[in-house]
Amino acid sequence: MAESSEKRAKYVYGVIRAGESPGAKAVGIDDEPLGLVTMDDLAALTTDVAEEFSVAGRDELLAHMRVLEEAMGWASAVLPMRFGVILPDADAVRAELLAPHREQLEELLEEMEGKVEVNLKGIHEEETVLREVLAENPEAAGLREAIQGKPEAATYYERIRLGELVSQGLEGKREETGPAIVERLSPFAVGIQLGDVVHERMALNASFLVERKELERFDAEVERWAEEQGGRVRVKYTGPLPPHSFVELEVGA
Amino acid sequence: MPYRGGSGYVARSSSSGLYDVLELILDKGLVIDVFVRVSLIGIEILTIDARIVIASVDTYLRFAEAVNRLDLMATETSGLPELMEGITEGGASSKTKGMLQGAKEALFGDEEEDEEEKEPSRKRSSTTTTRRRSRSGSKSSKKRSKSQS
Repeated sequence: MAESSEKRAKYVYGVIRAGESPGAKAVGIDDEPLGLVTMDDLAALTTDVAEEFSVAGRDELLAHMRVLEEAMGWASAVLPMRFGVILPDADAVRAELLAPHREQLEELLEEMEGKVEVNLKGIHEEETVLREVLAENPEAAGLREAIQGKPEAATYYERIRLGELVSQGLEGKREETGPAIVERLSPFAVGIQLGDVVHERMALNASFLVERKELERFDAEVERWAEEQGGRVRVKYTGPLPPHSFVELEVGA
Repeated sequence: MPYRGGSGYVARSSSSGLYDVLELILDKGLVIDVFVRVSLIGIEILTIDARIVIASVDTYLRFAEAVNRLDLMATETSGLPELMEGITEGGASSKTKGMLQGAKEALFGDEEEDEEEKEPSRKRSSTTTTRRRSRSGSKSSKKRSKSQS
């Protein structure tokens, strides 16, 4: 954004404890310096942006993530804001964010100290899971065999029935695999948030809140579980992240 | 995408990967609704097409085709455990590809294209997908209209 003349609005990345500092060289969105808006024991991590700032893209998303990730290194606890929160000025940050939610924010900071979020996605390997479904469902296996080599038009209803059975089978697989991994990992996590399963072969989309000192054991259990699956489930591990999924302000509080 | 970790069954990335944390930074975290006022441009980044299945003829036909393409001979001759080994031996890169890659490409607008959808004969119809998340821009404006009181 070139209109740098009037940058007094505050883009807010997160809330930390007052007295902790990102260092003079730290920058945020648009390479603007990181600043702090403090109120007693709380501080909001901010960057000055133009008042008209209202449109963001990839660079801003990445900056938001980077600032928070770096903050995990120098701050004792970080409460990440959702992307896109801008307040008109520093006073508004105090009046709208810090003051009205003070108690909750202080409690959350306490609670999140020494903890990180790990997001896990588990996806069934397509070929393997389809084979499993066929092997466990004689009707589907039979239908598959019956339509092999026949023209599509002649087997329309058989194919629909076959697809329906496969669809049900996949659903069953999702319902089996997801809870299994959650159960295995829950002893190593202090919080679990299940996210949306956004694909027909996705068995798990969950965020775990893990104590830093437990992270190694958590990771080892993820590896162990994945290994036991022998490649039938692909696990995507993202983290350690600031605890996005575990901080929430009560509306109207 | 850095790939580390002992067994090679787990693909890891730190938070530096945009796609992996997008849903978190757009949907989760502290928020005071009335002040979420940034609209996102480059909407293709933010259109997450989910392929959760709605029971429909199109979906069923797609599944039927997927199982029809399986080469069951492989199973009969080598058995499942060996088959799985074969899949694992495919190595790290093959494990990081596939669905998640597909999801990523979808995030960046290349259509949500999975391996099984590369054949031109199979056209997706909108009835086979649910759009679980529309543009975040419109989302934010929804937020904006919600009063805080």
